[in-house]
Amino acid sequence: MAIRRAEALASRLPPLLVAAERVAATVAQGVHGRRRVGQGDSFWQFRRFVAGDPVNRVDWRQSAKSSQPAPTGWFVRETEWEAAQTVCLWRDTSASMHWRRGGPVEKQERADLLALALAALLLRGGERILPMIAGAKPVAGRFGLERFAADLGAWQDPAGLPPDLPLPRHATAVLIGDFLSPLPEIQTVIGRLAATPVRGYLLQVLDPAEAALPFQGRIRFRGLENDGEALIPRVESIRDDYAGALRAQQAGLAAICAAAGFGFGVHLTDGSPEAALLTLYAALGAV
Amino acid sequence: MIFAAPWVLAALAGLPVLWWLLRVTPPAPRTETFPALRLLLGLRATEETPARTPWWLLALRLTAAALVIVALARPILDAGTALPGDGPVLLVIDNGWASAPGWQKRIQAAAGVLDRAERAGRKAALLATAPDEAGMAPTISAPMPVPDLRARLAALRPEPWPDDRAGAAAALRSWHQPGTSTVYLGDALADSAFPAFADALAATGSLTSICCDATPIRALLPPASEADRLVARVAQVPVSTETQVAVLAQAGDGRTLARATIAVPAGAAIASTAIALPSELRNTLTRLVLDGPASAGSVVLLDERWRRRPVGLMAGDQTSADAPFAGELYYLSRALGPYGEVRTGDVSALLGRDLAVMVLADRPLPAGPEREALTKWVEKGGLLIRFAGPRMAEAEAADGLLPVKLLGGDRQLGGALSWSEPAGLAQFAPDSPFAGLTVPAEVRVSRQVLAEPGAGLPARTWAALTDGTPLVTQVSLGAGRIVLFHVTANADWSNLPLSGLFLDMLRRLTALSAGVASKGDATVLAPAETLDGYGVLTAPPRAATGLAANAFATTPVSPAHPPGLYGPESNRQALNLGAAVGALAPAPSVSGAKVEPLAEARGQTPLGPPLVTLAVLLLLADLLVSLALRGLVRGRVTGSAALVLLLFAMPAQALETVANPALATRLGYIVTGDERVDGIAKAGLIGLSDFVNRRTSATLAMPDAIQPGVTDMSFYPLLYWPIVADAPPLTPAQTAALNDYMSRGGIILIDTRDSGSGAGFAPGTENAFRRIAQGLSIPALTPVTTAHVLSRAFYLLTDFPGRFTGDPVWVQRDQDRANDSVSPVIIGGNDWAAAWAVDNAGQNPYAVIPGGQRQRVMAYRFGLNVVMYALTGNYKGDQVHVPAILQRLGQ
Repeated sequence: MAIRRAEALASRLPPLLVAAERVAATVAQGVHGRRRVGQGDSFWQFRRFVAGDPVNRVDWRQSAKSSQPAPTGWFVRETEWEAAQTVCLWRDTSASMHWRRGGPVEKQERADLLALALAALLLRGGERILPMIAGAKPVAGRFGLERFAADLGAWQDPAGLPPDLPLPRHATAVLIGDFLSPLPEIQTVIGRLAATPVRGYLLQVLDPAEAALPFQGRIRFRGLENDGEALIPRVESIRDDYAGALRAQQAGLAAICAAAGFGFGVHLTDGSPEAALLTLYAALGAV
Repeated sequence: MIFAAPWVLAALAGLPVLWWLLRVTPPAPRTETFPALRLLLGLRATEETPARTPWWLLALRLTAAALVIVALARPILDAGTALPGDGPVLLVIDNGWASAPGWQKRIQAAAGVLDRAERAGRKAALLATAPDEAGMAPTISAPMPVPDLRARLAALRPEPWPDDRAGAAAALRSWHQPGTSTVYLGDALADSAFPAFADALAATGSLTSICCDATPIRALLPPASEADRLVARVAQVPVSTETQVAVLAQAGDGRTLARATIAVPAGAAIASTAIALPSELRNTLTRLVLDGPASAGSVVLLDERWRRRPVGLMAGDQTSADAPFAGELYYLSRALGPYGEVRTGDVSALLGRDLAVMVLADRPLPAGPEREALTKWVEKGGLLIRFAGPRMAEAEAADGLLPVKLLGGDRQLGGALSWSEPAGLAQFAPDSPFAGLTVPAEVRVSRQVLAEPGAGLPARTWAALTDGTPLVTQVSLGAGRIVLFHVTANADWSNLPLSGLFLDMLRRLTALSAGVASKGDATVLAPAETLDGYGVLTAPPRAATGLAANAFATTPVSPAHPPGLYGPESNRQALNLGAAVGALAPAPSVSGAKVEPLAEARGQTPLGPPLVTLAVLLLLADLLVSLALRGLVRGRVTGSAALVLLLFAMPAQALETVANPALATRLGYIVTGDERVDGIAKAGLIGLSDFVNRRTSATLAMPDAIQPGVTDMSFYPLLYWPIVADAPPLTPAQTAALNDYMSRGGIILIDTRDSGSGAGFAPGTENAFRRIAQGLSIPALTPVTTAHVLSRAFYLLTDFPGRFTGDPVWVQRDQDRANDSVSPVIIGGNDWAAAWAVDNAGQNPYAVIPGGQRQRVMAYRFGLNVVMYALTGNYKGDQVHVPAILQRLGQ
């Protein structure tokens, strides 16, 4: 079900092309056109035969059409060089994600949808997906999405931050979560990733109620991850202060991401997931 | 306002404690989960939600508590002053007919008095001054606790007869209780015994008089009946200003036919007004009613005396008098019959009963007993109308009972040997009773008898010809009147009896006659319906006894003779309260009495219940406010009750449903009582109607369930009748309805549902049908062949299958030309309805036997043929001859 929704969402965007900075060392060969001659399946161009070319690469049909004597009339068929990028996906499954007040769905559900949609897009573009779970293997192809969805279903990580895993160098990481943890913890994780080196994108998914604090009156707030409680006598009076604190958190996140070469975005669950996916699309293209 | 339990008010002192208790309890916070709690932890609210209860909520709760305390102290409004004395309270109430208009107020005032007595802990006694239904003189009840007396007070009703003040005075004189406080609720109507009654009243103890109603007491007197109108009279206690009162003339079904306003001048005791009504409307009047508060005195019942105008008819030749178009009484009886009672007979028989009008058509009155009897009758007030004729023209001129002296013989206008032409009628003179009637130009008089000219002739003429000769003359004789038409009562001498004018003239004349007063004899008439205290006709009370017919004018109303209708249905006589009332006089005030106005007297109003209600409402508001403060009630109602319209997927209803069976053609099935069979019949007819609508231009609406004898079957061309084995026999009404239906061209398709391939599916239905059909007029039958119209009414059919097939179908053997050669019954057992039936999904739920789509199609085609047969009759009968015609053409 979630896969179908994600695929439907992804089908509205053209296949996503992840630009890789480093080509030779890190990118495995795949079905990803590099706009130049190389190994691949797609036709790229015909070229006149040059002495030294293996005879078995001559395209005899094209050569016959040229009606010129051999070997000047011979043509060699060249294919496009195709390569694949590895994208590491992580999404937050901690208790704080299972919450909904102002939005239509829980944050967790939206994060799942975005992760799956992104995976569907990337897989269609020929990229490989690596779930950031211990022992996970990269997946590719159409059936890779099924496997990724199965992984996603079984993926329960109470920690609110990505685990410390050995990632392929120069891979791209996409992190989806609410990122309400203290900034130093996040700094540690992002710094570790940046040192691998891995570039990527960090998407903060928030409920509208978390952004606006629409409560009134005397309220006792309880956290979802055993982080205590707070009795606010008059919630509407601290709304502006809360907005400031949230802005500070997001500014901190943006600073951390910028320093590590990561992109950063915020998505509210009452916004459309297509918009978020577009943001990710644009951001991954830029990284 | 007083408090019945003032010590409860001491609890108000506890309110400050309550205030303190309420103040120290802050509202409990609401709990919410929040993921971004860490961001909140460092924040501090700049302003506090008040931890204490807000002052207005506190005030709300304290008010509610104070209201409960005050309510428990039982505050009472309008308690009135305490009654003097310390003995029992004696309540004297006039409950004669005059007390009915303000009765509710009186009872309220009495209840107020009892409230006062109850608060003072005094006993009370009751004296109603009118005799009760059994005719017992008024008595004072023993002093009893107030709650017991309340029940007696509630049972008290105004009676339709006058107070018995003398009896009440006697009862009062026997009352000896020291310290009595007497309260008198009078009806302010004086009678001869009132002074003695007032004295006795004053002697009982300290007296309070609660008096009187604002509207004066009125009674409707029996109306005077005049020739063309009824004069209604009303008696009233004289007042110092002019008052107006409306009188309604009502028919037996309660319709008000006329309304007249009587202006009663200042100081007058009796006033009257005329109610003009056409005589036929006047004859339907049963009562006159005073508009306003009802009482027995505001109703006058009208009996036969006010409306009966029986007309006696006599002709010169009684044997041929009724011959159609020629008889002398033919036109008269037809003209008078619809508007009154018309009698014929000889003079002794006619005059032996009450008679308002006597009509003699060409009947000379030679001296003798007949003439004497008629003369006597006219002098007593009868109206004699005579018509001229050949016999009268030849008779001795002076027979006495004629308005004018007649010349011998008759005058002929027009004719073979005459130059003159038949004369028309002149316009009626303004003083003639016929004034205003239009004279049709075509009325012509060709022969007439002539009056001897004289000075008095013009004054006696009510109608004349264009040449001035009198046509209708009249004279008064004693209290009565004689009217002569100078022409015959049939069309021999003029065509007047053929015109509508004749009718109008006779009705005017009849209206002129006095109503017939009942002949006073000593026959005792039993009370049939009597008026109660509010002027409503009810069953007579037990003590009511019969009254001699000649005593009605003189008998006063009493428990033994309550006002109302007496006698058998055919001869009702009314005894009216107004007949014996005469002028009404106001009662003087009782000396030494303290007077309280009746208008201000009312029962006490306890304020406790409304206060408690208010307190509960406040507490409910407090509950809502508390919930809102705790955040349990959102100010914004997010999920207001959404009305979910469950659109049931209605089965595609191809057939139109029209409530009125006359508006659309439709089939019907006779209800058997077996739910399953009825369901199949209905579904089958729906399927067949759909099929017919698709295939032909006939438009059939939803089929109906028919219950013979209950449903009007005349709208249904075809009835389907499935027979069930346990069908009950038809009632005579059902049999008659079905026979009537068949005899008038209806067709019944009778289905025993067990023949041919389906034998044994419905055992016993054939026997059931034989049992049922015994009363039905089913003709001799024959199997349907391919030559029968039924087999070619639309499709050409060779067999007629339904769900089953195989056995023949039976129709009437002999062609009945009267019924268009259409058989009234079609009898078979192929269970056609099951073959036709469609369910909601449009499928055929019942498999045909032996089976195959062709059998289904043939079943529908047979049904269509039957419908066509029912709708078009033998229209396709000609096709029977087509093979022969084709053969002939071929040759």
